[in-house]
Amino acid sequence: MYFDWTAEELALKQSVAALLTQDAATELGLLDEAELWQLKRITSRYLKALSGLGYLEIALGPAERGQLMRLIAGQEELAKASGSLFLATETTARIFGGLLAGFGDRSRIGDILEAVTHGEVIAGVAVTESEEDAAEPGLTTAGVRDGKEWVVSGRKDYVTNAPIADWIAVVGIAEGRPAAFLVEPPQAGATVGPRMRTLGFNGLAVARLELDSVRVPNDLVIGPFADEAALEYLGAMQDLILALAAVGLQFRTTAEAKRHALTHRRDGKDVFRYQEVRFKLAEMLTWAQTSQLLTFRAAWLYATGDPEARTVIHCAKVFCAEGAEQVTSMGMQVLAGRGYLSGNPVEQAYRDAKLTGIAGTTSERARMAIAGDLLKRYQV
Amino acid sequence: MDFSLTEEQLMFKEQVIKFARKEIVPRVQEHDLRSEFDFESWRKLGEFGLLGLHFPEELGGGGSDVMTAVVASEALGEAGVDGGLTLSLGAHTYLCADTIFAHGTDEQRKRYIPKLASGEWIGCMGLTEPGAGSDVASLRTRAMRQGDSWVLNGTKMFITNGPIADVAVVYARTGQSAAGQEGISAFIVEKGTPGFAVGRKLVKMGVRTSPTSELIFEDCVIPVENLLGQEGAGFFMAMRTVEWDRSALLAPFVGGLGYIIERCCRYAQERHQFGRPIASFQAIRHKIADVKICQEAARSLIYRIAWCKDQGRPLNHLEAAVAKLFVGDWSLKPMNDAMVLFGGYGYCHEYDVERIFRDSRIAPIGGGTSDIQKVLISRLM
Repeated sequence: MYFDWTAEELALKQSVAALLTQDAATELGLLDEAELWQLKRITSRYLKALSGLGYLEIALGPAERGQLMRLIAGQEELAKASGSLFLATETTARIFGGLLAGFGDRSRIGDILEAVTHGEVIAGVAVTESEEDAAEPGLTTAGVRDGKEWVVSGRKDYVTNAPIADWIAVVGIAEGRPAAFLVEPPQAGATVGPRMRTLGFNGLAVARLELDSVRVPNDLVIGPFADEAALEYLGAMQDLILALAAVGLQFRTTAEAKRHALTHRRDGKDVFRYQEVRFKLAEMLTWAQTSQLLTFRAAWLYATGDPEARTVIHCAKVFCAEGAEQVTSMGMQVLAGRGYLSGNPVEQAYRDAKLTGIAGTTSERARMAIAGDLLKRYQV
Repeated sequence: MDFSLTEEQLMFKEQVIKFARKEIVPRVQEHDLRSEFDFESWRKLGEFGLLGLHFPEELGGGGSDVMTAVVASEALGEAGVDGGLTLSLGAHTYLCADTIFAHGTDEQRKRYIPKLASGEWIGCMGLTEPGAGSDVASLRTRAMRQGDSWVLNGTKMFITNGPIADVAVVYARTGQSAAGQEGISAFIVEKGTPGFAVGRKLVKMGVRTSPTSELIFEDCVIPVENLLGQEGAGFFMAMRTVEWDRSALLAPFVGGLGYIIERCCRYAQERHQFGRPIASFQAIRHKIADVKICQEAARSLIYRIAWCKDQGRPLNHLEAAVAKLFVGDWSLKPMNDAMVLFGGYGYCHEYDVERIFRDSRIAPIGGGTSDIQKVLISRLM
């Protein structure tokens, strides 16, 4: 057991932290208000900078998951600084890049992956479909082979990065099995809808993607997959990333609430001197530290291929997401009226927190999965 | 970072679970219902080496590291050993014996550690007083030097193992000040010492197999060599036990969550309502999941304290308070949910979830209440 960062882990953590200077924090704080062109410019610039640290090429795909602990210290720094930039970055690198690195075996895909690791592209992965499209569980988006191409049609919802993406991997059915079709918007037939207006993570560009007979060359198709490994990888990574995003929200809110309590007075004394405020801060830090450690352990289990990893990732996802809701709510209470003002970091975190329990595996589905694993283990 | 236990630790954990399930768990319910300490189980714990795991072998211990001791405590909880017995073990090994081991002279170690490690003697720690609980620094028990003796006067409260202890580590004020951390010293007091009496046995909600009582000192005369460590260093010695309290003493609660998970899973599959096992209901599954989430969240917190101690690092009081607050407060809801999952049976002694629910209620109270942890965290953060 070793509860400290190794020198290598610490180096990445420090270099990411060094990138996120006070000026950067100010700029990232404005992401919520940014127009799409600004969002693309800022996101691209940080991807380029992170690429210079080697951040974008670590732990891509299941075969490289052993590198996850080297990465996670840096991920946490980014998540603390800006949840939106963190999710945009991780969607590009670990989700899209991980899919390409882990399951793509064609040379053209290798070229795209190289662009990802060099911070030259923004990317997304389209999995979710709207409920009205699905009479039964399963994907309705599908590709039909036509010579050296596939003709893909379908509709995807909530595609992260879609409005600013250079590439989107669309998960659909190919010859009865799941596959990922790489689409380069705005190619013919691929329509990215208007940017969705969301409660939180407003510095993240999310949209619907419509595919109407989009022609995808064979060398831009990953799969069809022989088994569930690719989808399992995507699910596990997405949940880990969202758990980390929730940890970042918790620490950021706790720090902001503490700062407020120490620098503001009420009825003649520092807000921090009120026991109820101090107790709230103590609970917030307890949530944050516990969430952090649980997520690290979940990532470590995944990195080491432990059979219980997926169960514990689900645990981390639920715990961190619900912790984020609790902590941001308490944080807003500490900041009182100031916390309720739009543009305040705590108000922003309060809105952001909700997504962490909804995106990826919802807390309800995660609980069902955890219980399912346990009931199997203790089968009567 | 690396969260792995060694092969030896994993194997030992399995051995402890197996041993406890066979030798101790079958006796738990009976003793809990009678609120009786189980001397037979105690003897077996001693024989298995669990009462002095981390002491050197030459003193009758197992020579283990802290992490192994914590894993063993967790294993006892996971096996289904009651919170009373694990609390008695904690008070005996970590609050009493380890304080003697850490601060005692060679003579004191040789006299006490082998007997405590084997379980031949039972130990306790006398710190809390009727008027000094979390506010340790205000304790009033006094020790006056008279020639080659110390004379103790005062009363200790809520002393785990008090009624059955052969030896007690007792904290008393030796300095001139009436309050504060300075001037507190630790003493070893043996059963039968004139002036040392055990007060009324306290009837408790949970951890019933662990006897609790007052300790009364009325002109209790002990030899001068029974001073433990340096005079006036008692407060810091008491604080040192916090490392154990936040690791080895919390570990059975974390293990207990694992035990509850197994019990809930099996019951939920056997119990049928509305023509199907209750495990098929979403609400039941969510309850089971919540216990698991709590266990996973808690585990690393206590392992981290143990790891730091093994590394020889000074205790991080912030992390220790976080661990205590989390295990104490956050585990209550899943324990309550588990009892509800068992329905009416869960409320009856017949099913052990009722006892486990009662036992878990001590976690946010004993060893520093949750409120005190919040005070500490907000001070240190």
